[in-house]
Amino acid sequence: MTSWLSRAFSVARFVRSGKAALFSVARFVRSGTAASSARRPSLLSRAGLLGVASLVIAVSSSRAEDTFFAQRVAPIFEEKCVACHGEKKQKGKLRLDSFAQLMRGGEGGGVVKAGAPKASELFIRVTMDPTDEEFMPADSKPPLTPDEVKVLEVWIAAGASETALLSSIKGAPALAAPQGPTVALAPDWHPRALQIAQLEKTLGLRLVPRSHVPTDGLVLRTASSPGRCDDAALAQLASVADLIVEAELARTQITDAGLTAIAAFANLRALDLTRTAVTSAGVGKLVVLKKLESINLTSTAVDDAGVAPLRSVASLKNVWTFDTKVSPPGPR
Amino acid sequence: MNPSSPDHHLCSDHCGENPTVWDLPHVPLGLKREWLDLETRRHFLGQGVKALGWAGLATLLGRSAPNLLANAPIPGAPAMLPHYAPKAKRAIYLFMAGSPSQIETWDYKPTLADLFDKDLPESVRGGQTLTGMTASQTRFPIAPSLYKFARQGKAGRFVSELFPYTAKVSDELCVIKSLHTDAINHEPAILQLTTGNMFPGKPSIGSWLSYGLGAMNAELPTFVVMTSKMPHRTNVQALSNRLWSSGFLSPEHAAVALRSGSDPVLYLNNPKGIASDVRRAMIDGVNDLNRQLFERVGDPEINARISQYEMAFRMQTSVPELTDFSNEPQSTWDLYGPKAKEPGTFAYNCLMARRLAERGVRFTQIFLRSWDQHSRLPTNIKLMAEDSDQPTYALVTDLKRRGLLDDTVVIWGGEFGRTVYSQGALTPDNYGRDHHPRCFSMWMAGGGVKPGISYGETDDFSYNIVKNPMHIRDLHATILHLFGLDHNKLSFKFQGLDQKLTGVLPSKVINDLLA
Ligand code: HEC
Repeated sequence: MTSWLSRAFSVARFVRSGKAALFSVARFVRSGTAASSARRPSLLSRAGLLGVASLVIAVSSSRAEDTFFAQRVAPIFEEKCVACHGEKKQKGKLRLDSFAQLMRGGEGGGVVKAGAPKASELFIRVTMDPTDEEFMPADSKPPLTPDEVKVLEVWIAAGASETALLSSIKGAPALAAPQGPTVALAPDWHPRALQIAQLEKTLGLRLVPRSHVPTDGLVLRTASSPGRCDDAALAQLASVADLIVEAELARTQITDAGLTAIAAFANLRALDLTRTAVTSAGVGKLVVLKKLESINLTSTAVDDAGVAPLRSVASLKNVWTFDTKVSPPGPR
Repeated sequence: MNPSSPDHHLCSDHCGENPTVWDLPHVPLGLKREWLDLETRRHFLGQGVKALGWAGLATLLGRSAPNLLANAPIPGAPAMLPHYAPKAKRAIYLFMAGSPSQIETWDYKPTLADLFDKDLPESVRGGQTLTGMTASQTRFPIAPSLYKFARQGKAGRFVSELFPYTAKVSDELCVIKSLHTDAINHEPAILQLTTGNMFPGKPSIGSWLSYGLGAMNAELPTFVVMTSKMPHRTNVQALSNRLWSSGFLSPEHAAVALRSGSDPVLYLNNPKGIASDVRRAMIDGVNDLNRQLFERVGDPEINARISQYEMAFRMQTSVPELTDFSNEPQSTWDLYGPKAKEPGTFAYNCLMARRLAERGVRFTQIFLRSWDQHSRLPTNIKLMAEDSDQPTYALVTDLKRRGLLDDTVVIWGGEFGRTVYSQGALTPDNYGRDHHPRCFSMWMAGGGVKPGISYGETDDFSYNIVKNPMHIRDLHATILHLFGLDHNKLSFKFQGLDQKLTGVLPSKVINDLLA
């Protein structure tokens, strides 16, 4: 603990002289802003909220914050309304920065009528003709998306409750997953995070999540040290085999024997075997990969006989066979 | 963390060696406590010293709660993953500095032929401010392209006879004819394209990608820049590292400039008579001193310095392998042409770009200068096209046949357009063109870009955009999108602002360009 304190002091001293501290803050804050995507209240309250939430997660699996209002409704107000209906400005004497304020209403009284969206001033304002001067948000600010309107509608229809759980209100459009495919390409990798870290460490390769979406799968990446990735290494990936969606194995030491391990990557979509020692004898093992979309065999010893079995893989769109004995054009 | 381990990640942001959250002012106490709590748990799990560090903090603030515990233990994992699964893993940007005329290249205007030496209608020019170079001209005579166009490829796109090779990959290209920029002079315009801002000091595209996604290959820089020998020299703009600097981002996100010749990276080789182990010992010593300094002052730039030393040491092995072209088959030389053997040529650089892409370098930017044809345009544009056409075609073709084009986006273009009217005297076989920011053409290929299409339209004079204008910011937003990054979310707090590549003015991903 003392070291924390002394650090805090040394940094505090530094604040006056400037740079390092500024930098630190910049770095600190940007990690937050990078994520302000999730449309939550302000950064700090959001951070606080996460803090609490994650602590709870660490202990048990239920969260007080899992209400429909907090998860779905408040973020919409926060993004599109609070600039004019919040702490700083209260246009029409209305505030939308908390449930209590919302229910207090504005100049004209209550704006939400539980159970009756079409009779709720708030809902009327966001669904009227956008050229109407009463349309909200005012001043040609970005209007609500159809999904957001729908969220408000189902919430009001279901009783406009502060405490109703997220799961209890049906009919709301799914939260726009950050534009990625909503289909799960692989199981969520998070439960196996420790295993993944361990494997990365011992095998000297990377298992990188493809995106923030936990079911987008992992990329098996070897570019930093392809020389360290061999058949034995691949054989040790069995416990995460179903998580791997892309395998970048160009220039690695793998041979036909390693393809046995790869054949167990059931969710594999892209496989790069460029300049490896794989041969026609091994490629046939891959026909069990029913999701495989592309395979790169550039600069390998594979020939026509080797790629022929791949025709049975219906999902396969691209087979690259440049600098091989496969007669051009490679099967498509 | 052990900085000499091969897994050492390029970005100091998440190597856990920076000041702890506890040190930060303006952080709610509760959050600090929570961080400490998790950190303690990490110790308990035996995951190492300060393991959560910045990665943990990023996680704490940047991820949704359920991910928190799970994400924390991954050492070296990028602090920021793509927001959505990317189409492009790498980009190769062929920057045609000086700005090739769109009228001779990608914005075919057949009706101009009948308007030779007619005055550009004032209504078209619309009282636009001109550069000092043509402001004093009394006439603005229309100069049609001296080069012919013909339909090429399955899509039947009109391609200039200046590009007989590129014409063969016309179906791979997505040509944008409606780009526009804010600057009318080279320096600010080039800066705007490379960094999103006309003023120096902002991070370039490659730096943003490095910051946002980290490295794929820790043995090589994430962002590499090359300048090319010019086939001729007129009106050559100076290039400097402000075009590829990391600005306010940590210095390891800046590009490494690969030079031609025996020393591709300056000061990389050991001085004569210094053996590798001596060098290693020296670097360890310097790093140790730096770490002590860091303990005292806590400036993260010190860590950036340490990781730069480490990167340089690793490049002592990775760069010689990279630059050794001896294992390239004859088919490579046939494709790129004989000039590819001469270090520093555009052809050589294109081949190098393919080799960098193969090895997982995210962003390679090749500059080719001397497209600034204010006078003698017909002669000089031909020299430039002859130098660059075959290598450009070769690069696209090579990436494609090796299966790399699907996840590598190639970008071609200059910093603005050129005027339809002649700068200086117009004769049947000679003219010049001045700068023109209102419209210009670029193309992109691969990496999730829709092949074979054209986007945007200009008027009959290639003077004003009449359909689908696309600002540089939109180009940047679209490039980031291809990499799975949301341009509004990829930000960095600096000088009180959430700085973004696309800045604060409206910008959007152009969905029509996406495959
Ligand atoms: C640019 C500022 C601005 C934004 C943004 C804005 N409003 Fe308003 N709002 C106003 C003004 C001004 C009034 C008062 C004039 C009026 O009633 O039309 C008002 C009034 C209202 C009223 C009527 C209050 C009453 O009782 O009279 C409602 C309901 C309302 N806004 C809802 C919203 C919602 C929901 C949003 C977000 C989707 C929103 N507003 C965004 C400016 C704004």
